[in-house]
Amino acid sequence: MGRRILFITTDQMRYDAIGANGGHIARTPNIDALARDGISYDRAQPQNVVCMPSRATMVTGQDVGTHGVWMNGVPLPIDAPSVAAVLGDAGYRTALIGKSHFEPLLDPFLRFEENRFAFDGSTRGHRGFEHMELATHGPAGFTHYAMWMRAHHAGSIGGFFQVLDQDLEVSGLGGGDTGAPQVKRNPVPRDQYHTEWVADRTIAWLDGLEADDDWFCWMSFPDPHHPWDPPESELHRVDWRDLDLPAAYRTDAAEREAIIDAKPRHWRLWYDGELVSNYEAPTRWVPATLTADQIREVNAITHVENELIDEAIGRVLAAIAARGWGDDLDVVFTTDHGEFQGDYGLLFKGPYHVDSLMRIPLIWRPAPSAGGGVDARARVSRPVGLRDLAPTFCAIAGVDVPAWMDGRPLPIDDADATARAFERVTTEWDSQQPDGTEIHLRTIVRDRWVLTEYRPGTVHDGTEGELYDIEEDPLQFVNLWDDPARRAVRAELVDDLRANIVEPELWRRAQAPV
Amino acid sequence: MATLRSHARIHRTADDVWAVVGDPSRIIEWFPGLTGVTVADGVRTLTMRSGLPVHEEIVTLDHRRRRFQYRITGPLPVRYHLGTMDVIDDGEPGCLLVYSTEIDPEPMAFVLDGAISEGVATLARLLNDHAEGRP
Repeated sequence: MGRRILFITTDQMRYDAIGANGGHIARTPNIDALARDGISYDRAQPQNVVCMPSRATMVTGQDVGTHGVWMNGVPLPIDAPSVAAVLGDAGYRTALIGKSHFEPLLDPFLRFEENRFAFDGSTRGHRGFEHMELATHGPAGFTHYAMWMRAHHAGSIGGFFQVLDQDLEVSGLGGGDTGAPQVKRNPVPRDQYHTEWVADRTIAWLDGLEADDDWFCWMSFPDPHHPWDPPESELHRVDWRDLDLPAAYRTDAAEREAIIDAKPRHWRLWYDGELVSNYEAPTRWVPATLTADQIREVNAITHVENELIDEAIGRVLAAIAARGWGDDLDVVFTTDHGEFQGDYGLLFKGPYHVDSLMRIPLIWRPAPSAGGGVDARARVSRPVGLRDLAPTFCAIAGVDVPAWMDGRPLPIDDADATARAFERVTTEWDSQQPDGTEIHLRTIVRDRWVLTEYRPGTVHDGTEGELYDIEEDPLQFVNLWDDPARRAVRAELVDDLRANIVEPELWRRAQAPV
Repeated sequence: MATLRSHARIHRTADDVWAVVGDPSRIIEWFPGLTGVTVADGVRTLTMRSGLPVHEEIVTLDHRRRRFQYRITGPLPVRYHLGTMDVIDDGEPGCLLVYSTEIDPEPMAFVLDGAISEGVATLARLLNDHAEGRP
């Protein structure tokens, strides 16, 4: 018997969402306990800040330029390498339960296998997973969760926020107490909500395993990604009126807008509703209309969703302990990317490479039985990426890391990170909209610097950029790109970025908006 | 309004290719995700794998120019649509198949573009395989 692996992901969760990283609203004792007994990474970054590219990186251990899923809507090739296949070949039982998003969700022709599995009622997996039961942010579309809701709880479906409007555009319809976009009071009973469903189905899959099976289970929660429509019965947990505004939000509009104006022009264009550069944000919603109370309400609901996730994790961990697997269990907890949650007066995500979207929670609680010199409560400050997860799973399972993975097994502390030269992490963005709008960003984080180079597109001519000193300016308000005093460090970082970024070799067509 | 275009060079005569493209009922042989098709009174009705129908109005079926045009009329959320398939004998070996689409709202373009690209590739492969004697 080897070490079992529970890989837990959320969707669109900020670094500061959990208690272990300084969050003080949502109560996340189960996640915090993983941090207490394991390793927390304080500069973990996705290689792309939207779902499909980021999740493709998780399953392949590859940079975006290697796996080629360069924007949402581009499917991961069916024959792409997968860490699940590597582990399966090593004798592991494998499952993915929850949100995969390796293939487009908006699929009326049912062209993509994962949608067909659910529609056909099959839980057979692919990409090396022997079992898949899939969900996304509500009961729409073709996922196992959606089919289950239609079959057993059809009356609850109307309580969820309808994400797409009649034009298939992402809806910005407001709700709740403040009219915040994509907020809806949802009367769905808690036991029908997707967070509970993911935990229930994970426990059910684990129950079917033999006691001596080695297993790898990716438990993938769709929350706290918008829409913000958790069970209404749980909203009492956090009163939005009690919340402080985010540190990166300035209540004075002129001050807020001056910060945005110091950044490349697509920031202000989106803020003013003059540009929508990606499908992930509501087309007809204008960020400049976002009020302080709307930010509070969205954040309160997000905290509620995070508490529900933490409690679901607690249920699964208890079930695992009851099977006697606890001492041999490695747990890795992370998310695919962050969320603005009101920073700079913005919500959602897009081509904006600041910590709101790029800095994410990552915790590795090694199996207690593994020993091996892991310091409980270790915090790693050196940069790591989601591309390092798949190699870490290989290392846990005791199999060689395949040459096709770009990442490396996560360091267990800063000394290990220094010894193995974890010096930088890169994140890239490419998008091409039906109206022709193109944006291309390349980012490197190294030492105290975040540098983003803009490639030519329809909004930028390729001379723009962002440079932040995250020690002096952790909120990334002051763009030093054009500061003459920073020319040398800017040039050095640009050279380092270009030497280390993996550019896509093949620009595959997007097959759906998302 | 979004515009799309897919094309393929097919190593068959234009007449051979038009025999498939110019028969609206044969779409089920090459377009992805379809389980049924009926054509009657200038209306083509497709059945998708999910069981949902797509209703289309046949606008042009010009055997001389080898041009087929149709509009999606429902129930997909389409405000405006015109699909055009041209089979062009351009003097080069084989012929050129061009599939153009104008569509509003724009998000549908992504969905159709992927399906159309796959369909054009499938059609080219089927006809080319046949030309080379493969089963």
